Amino acid sequence: MEAIGYDEVVRMIRGAASEIRANREHLSKLDSATGDGDHGTAMLRAMEAAEKAVADARPPAIAPMLEAVAWGIMGAAGGAPGPLLGSFFLGMSEAVGERQTLDGPAVASMFEGGLAAMRKQTPAKPGDKTMLDALIPAVEALRAATGAGPDVASAMKRAADAAARGAEGTRDMQARFGKARNLGERSKGTVDPGATSISCIFKGFADAVAADKNT
Amino acid sequence: MAMKKFINDPANLTTELLEGYCLAYPDKVALESGRIVVRAKPKPESKVAIVTLGGSGHEPALSGFVGEGMLDASVVGDIFAAPGPPPVIQALKMADRKAGVLFVVLNHAGDVMSANMALEMAGKEGLNVRMILTHEDIAPGASAPAEERRGLAGCIPLYKVAGAAAEAGKSLDEVCKIAERFNDNMATLAVAIKTATHPQSGQAIFDLADDEMEIGMGQHGEAGTGRSKLMTADRTADVMADRLMQAVKAKKGDRLLVIVNGAGATTQMELFIIFRRVHQFLAKHGVTIARSLVGEYLTVQEMAGFQMFFAKMDDELLKWYDAPCDTPYWTVR
Repeated sequence: MEAIGYDEVVRMIRGAASEIRANREHLSKLDSATGDGDHGTAMLRAMEAAEKAVADARPPAIAPMLEAVAWGIMGAAGGAPGPLLGSFFLGMSEAVGERQTLDGPAVASMFEGGLAAMRKQTPAKPGDKTMLDALIPAVEALRAATGAGPDVASAMKRAADAAARGAEGTRDMQARFGKARNLGERSKGTVDPGATSISCIFKGFADAVAADKNT
Repeated sequence: MAMKKFINDPANLTTELLEGYCLAYPDKVALESGRIVVRAKPKPESKVAIVTLGGSGHEPALSGFVGEGMLDASVVGDIFAAPGPPPVIQALKMADRKAGVLFVVLNHAGDVMSANMALEMAGKEGLNVRMILTHEDIAPGASAPAEERRGLAGCIPLYKVAGAAAEAGKSLDEVCKIAERFNDNMATLAVAIKTATHPQSGQAIFDLADDEMEIGMGQHGEAGTGRSKLMTADRTADVMADRLMQAVKAKKGDRLLVIVNGAGATTQMELFIIFRRVHQFLAKHGVTIARSLVGEYLTVQEMAGFQMFFAKMDDELLKWYDAPCDTPYWTVR
C-alpha cells in the first residue's frame, strides 16, 4: 500500500503490543542477566497503556492519538522505558502534525521525529548497547526503503529486519547505560533487552501493515 | 532460590504497600493520587518544599522520610522502577507554592529521565524548581565521572539536612547551597552476600555463589564489579572504610557522619559488628565519628548486604542534622 491512515497506525500499535506481550518473559530474562529483570514487565505495562490510549482515541486525527499513547505510556510505565518510549511517541506525534494519511516518506519522517525526541532524553550513542542500537538502523532502513519505492508494507519490513539485526548486534557490546552499565565487561554476551523490545515493536508494526494489504 | 513473601497479586504490590504505609502513620503521611506520599500536615507556604522520586521496593526509603523537617513529597514508582513523568510533574506543581522546590533526584537512568522530562514541563509552566542529583556511589571509583555513579542511601541524610534548613525558613538558594555541600562531601559503598528476589517476578535479582561477596552491588541487585570470596566482617569493613575515607578525603581531626545501612536480610547483629570495626579503623586514622546510624533505611528486599556511608560534616551541617524532625522512620525531638 502506498499510504497509511489512522486505522493502520492503530493496528500497528496493537500489533506492537501483541509482540511485546508474547515476548514479555524472554525480555525479562534478558534483563535478569545484566539488570534487575523487570524489562519485560515494564514494556508490557507501557504497551498496555498504549492499547488503552488507542481504544479511547477517535479517528481521524493521528497526532492526538499518538500523543495520548505517549502520555499513557509515561503514566503507566516508569523506569527508563517509560520516558524513552513516551518521548518516542511524542516525537512521532509532532512529526505527523495535521496529516491524516502518511505515504512512505511521511512514515519515515514520523519515525525520524520519534527517534529525535527519544535521543533528547539520553546521551546514548550507537554501540552503547541500548534501544538506539535497534531503533537507529530501523529508522535509517525505513528512510532508505521509502526512497526506493512506494510500498509502505515492504519499507516497514525492511525497518523491522534492520531492528532485528541491530538488536542481535548488541550481543557483544559493553553496556554504557542503564543498570547493566555497572557490570563493565560482564555485560557482554547477551543481547540488550531494550534493543530487543524495539525489534519486537517494529516486527509488530511491520506485520500489522503487511496484514492490511488493501491495495 | 524460591521466593517466599507475604504478598497478594504481584501487580498490586506498590498500591498495597503505599496504602498500608499511609494507614499506619496517618498523623504524618497521606497518599495523593495513589503514587505521591505527602505530609499529612503540609508545611507553611512560605517555606521551601523538598520533593524526591524513586521506585518502591526499598522500604522504608524513600517515602519513610516524608514529614516535618525532611521530605514534603515522595513520588513512587513500581518496584525498583522510577515513576513516569506525569506524577512527578503533579508533585512539583503541588509543592511549588511561595518558596520554591528542591528536587532531589538519585542518579539512576529512569529517575533522571523522568526528572528531566518533569523539569522541562516545570520550566514551561514557570515553576520554581531546583534539582540536585545524588551520585555518591564510589563502586566505579571515587573519581569516576558523576554520570557513572549511582545515587544510593546518601539521599536520606541529605533530605535531613536540606529539610531542616527548609523548615527553618531558609531560602531556596540557601537550601540548595547546604544540600550541595552535603552532596559534595558524601560517599557510599555497598556490598552484597546473598541475593534478593524481585517480588513481581519471583526471580533472584543476581547470582552469587555460596562463598562469594560483591562489593559495589547496586540497590536494585544490579551487579557491581568487585566480586570476591567472602571475607570476615572486619576485613570487609576495613576494605570499605578505607575506600570511603579516601573518597571523602577525611583527614585526622575531621568529623564524619557514618551510616551502616542494612540491605534487608542482614541482621542488626552483623551491622553492629561491622560498625565496631569501622569505628576502630577511623580511630586509627584520627577521624572522629561525630554522628552514626545503624539500621535499615534503604533496603533491597531480602538482600543480604549493606551500604556503608560516610559524610564529612562541619558545624553548620551538624546543626541541620541535629534539628528536630518528625517522619515515620526518622524522628528528632
